[in-house]
Amino acid sequence: MNFELMAQAMPLLLTGAVVTVKITALSVLLGIIIGLFVGIARISTYRVVHLVAAVYVDFLRGTPLLVQIFLVYFALPVVTGQRINPFVAAIAACSINSSAYVAEIFRAGIQSIDAGQMEAGRSLGMTWAQTMRYIIVPQAARRVIPPLGNEFIALLKDSSLVSVIGFEELTRRGQLIIARTYASLEIWLCVAIIYLVMTVSISRLVAWLERRYKIDDQR
Amino acid sequence: MISVRNLRKSFGSVEVLRGVNLDIAEKEVVVIIGPSGSGKSTLLRCINYLEEPTSGEIVVDGMKLGETDINKVRAEVGMVFQRFNLFPHMTVMDNITLAPMKVRGTPKEEAEADALRLLKKVGLADRAAAYPEQLSGGQQQRVAIARALAMKPKVMLFDEPTSALDPEMVKEVLEVMKELAREGMTMAVVTHEMGFAREVGDRVLFVDYGVILEQGTPEEIFSHPKEERMQEFLSKIL
Repeated sequence: MNFELMAQAMPLLLTGAVVTVKITALSVLLGIIIGLFVGIARISTYRVVHLVAAVYVDFLRGTPLLVQIFLVYFALPVVTGQRINPFVAAIAACSINSSAYVAEIFRAGIQSIDAGQMEAGRSLGMTWAQTMRYIIVPQAARRVIPPLGNEFIALLKDSSLVSVIGFEELTRRGQLIIARTYASLEIWLCVAIIYLVMTVSISRLVAWLERRYKIDDQR
Repeated sequence: MISVRNLRKSFGSVEVLRGVNLDIAEKEVVVIIGPSGSGKSTLLRCINYLEEPTSGEIVVDGMKLGETDINKVRAEVGMVFQRFNLFPHMTVMDNITLAPMKVRGTPKEEAEADALRLLKKVGLADRAAAYPEQLSGGQQQRVAIARALAMKPKVMLFDEPTSALDPEMVKEVLEVMKELAREGMTMAVVTHEMGFAREVGDRVLFVDYGVILEQGTPEEIFSHPKEERMQEFLSKIL
């Protein structure tokens, strides 16, 4: 094993890792925002809203992320006649894909809150939206921290798929270095270790958040 | 204050309320008793539209339900639940001030002053900063009453307010309710506490199989029940 090569490749790989973190963080953020609305739509009593949200979730969970990336990057320009920036395509595909999973997490979180909470809020004259905002969502938020953490980790790993559209994140950087050096073993090992460090860090962060809010609950 | 005309409510194929007529006057305390499953809770829940009636007409304080903005009606109708339903992520103070601030637009300081006054009234002035789970059941229910009162409702609905409480806590909640009745609050109370019905009720309704089977003053109902079902019910619980 060529340790010198690994040391040399590290800085380049790490800049790739920064890009991976950026895509993941942005996609998670957008995914949470979209997912919250889709999740609420999933429990809507309006049939059409409910149905549209269900189809959205089914489509995104029922097709591979890789295919979704191709759809955004290669198929969409055929329709619009405009090339799409790989960074935009990567973020769009990852965040939309993630929003479907996040929506299901939020839906489950909201439905796990006792129905009496909504009744109490409504009986005081608050609207459905006010009760959601001040009563239901804050309580659901604490319960969705662990599954959201899992989704964050899954997305970080899945973001390696955007390397197929030539977007230079961690995995793509690794491929490019190997193309030059033929050092498959060393470089893929480095790439794997960097991913591992990132995912373990996230799971620690999530565990910390979980503990923090547990304490809040018992205050 | 409240007028219910020919109220019917079905859940699927089960008809829970089969034509209920009821008038509650201002400052009147009406106690609703009856076997479980008789529809008494459903009747109460229809009055603030937590259950939508299948047919019939309900008018609360001149507002016809189904035609008026329901949030306006509910702001005037306080509701106390069997299971308290306090907001567990908020302090007692925030539980009480939330709705006045969001619905009535009451300034925070005024809402908090109001809340403290109400907490004093229910004997919990020192627990404003506590979270619901740090309180006993009886204390939680008293906070729930204060929360409902904070909206300055014209009517208070109580849905079996003491049924989920340990026996030694029932009294402290009933005392608060008696105090309210003395102050002239219009109240409709679903309960199994016959002592309370006798002492505080202006009128007692006996609900069975989705209709009001018998009604009258506590004296008439408890001492001279006419209906056989009513006699049978009383013999089981008294």
